[in-house]
Amino acid sequence: MTFERFQSLAEAWGGAIARWPAEVQDAAYAFMAASPEQADAVLAEARATDALMDAAPALSASIALRDRVIAAAPAARARRSRLWRWMTGAGVGAGLAAATAAGVMAGVSLSLAQAPLGEDEALLTTLYDTGLGEELGGTT
Amino acid sequence: MTGNDPDQDLVARVGRGDPAAIQALVARKLPRLLQLAHRMLNDAAEAEDVAQEVFLRAWKQAPTWVPGAARFDTWLHRVAMNLCYDRLRRRREQPMAEPPEQVDPGPAPDRRLLAGDTGSRVNAALGALPDRQREAVVLCHYQELGNIEAAGLMGVSVEALESLLARGRRALRAALADLRE
Repeated sequence: MTFERFQSLAEAWGGAIARWPAEVQDAAYAFMAASPEQADAVLAEARATDALMDAAPALSASIALRDRVIAAAPAARARRSRLWRWMTGAGVGAGLAAATAAGVMAGVSLSLAQAPLGEDEALLTTLYDTGLGEELGGTT
Repeated sequence: MTGNDPDQDLVARVGRGDPAAIQALVARKLPRLLQLAHRMLNDAAEAEDVAQEVFLRAWKQAPTWVPGAARFDTWLHRVAMNLCYDRLRRRREQPMAEPPEQVDPGPAPDRRLLAGDTGSRVNAALGALPDRQREAVVLCHYQELGNIEAAGLMGVSVEALESLLARGRRALRAALADLRE
């Protein structure tokens, strides 16, 4: 590798040879071993530019943004939609009463009683996934 | 990991609506995409809008994503970059109520700034680069894409990418010369 090529690579890719294109790294390290003073001067200059560039502050992703992004995912939308249909239907009590009439109350009650806190939504999702939720409280 | 795309399995699970995979993909990609948009646009609110839009498209794409043609990360970058260019184009076409922040071209000893201001100066200097130079710098320096991936994403040769990078870095060094003391 020539000095000019080493210099142009540093100008493009910065002062860390490890971040240069993989196909030139061996030759660059060989140049550095053969001409350490020239290489050091070039790399020091490039590192100073790297340091300036790295002073640009990173923008953190807020929790609100993360939540909005996740809420827009199809799985989240579908879950919300099912839950909404359930909650805006005849109501949980009425739904369960309807389920009783349909002869499935025992199984549902058992599931509700066994479900730990926080899993209600998952249970509702399961009910709707099996079509039972529509029967329980769906408006459509 | 499957094949050459480290995101392949995760994307497949996202496509099946796996909530844990959705959260994992967001945790893995949202900070990167937000950074890319912020570096390109130098506007936090617009960067958030772009990041959200990229994910909307990712949610649509995931169920039908066919591995092999491109890495999912590269595809995300391309979508984000296109959205950034759309916004940059609109900025140029519409007169702005407030002019964008400009890089102060005149280095002088009394303009040495505190660390927080240094960051703002760097962002402004990035924003003042020609679009293609800024894209090359953002993809290679900040997003740490390899030369072949970045060149492919930009639709230029590796040599052209290297030239854009070198010119971009030189312009940044010149714009920020007063900070190097």
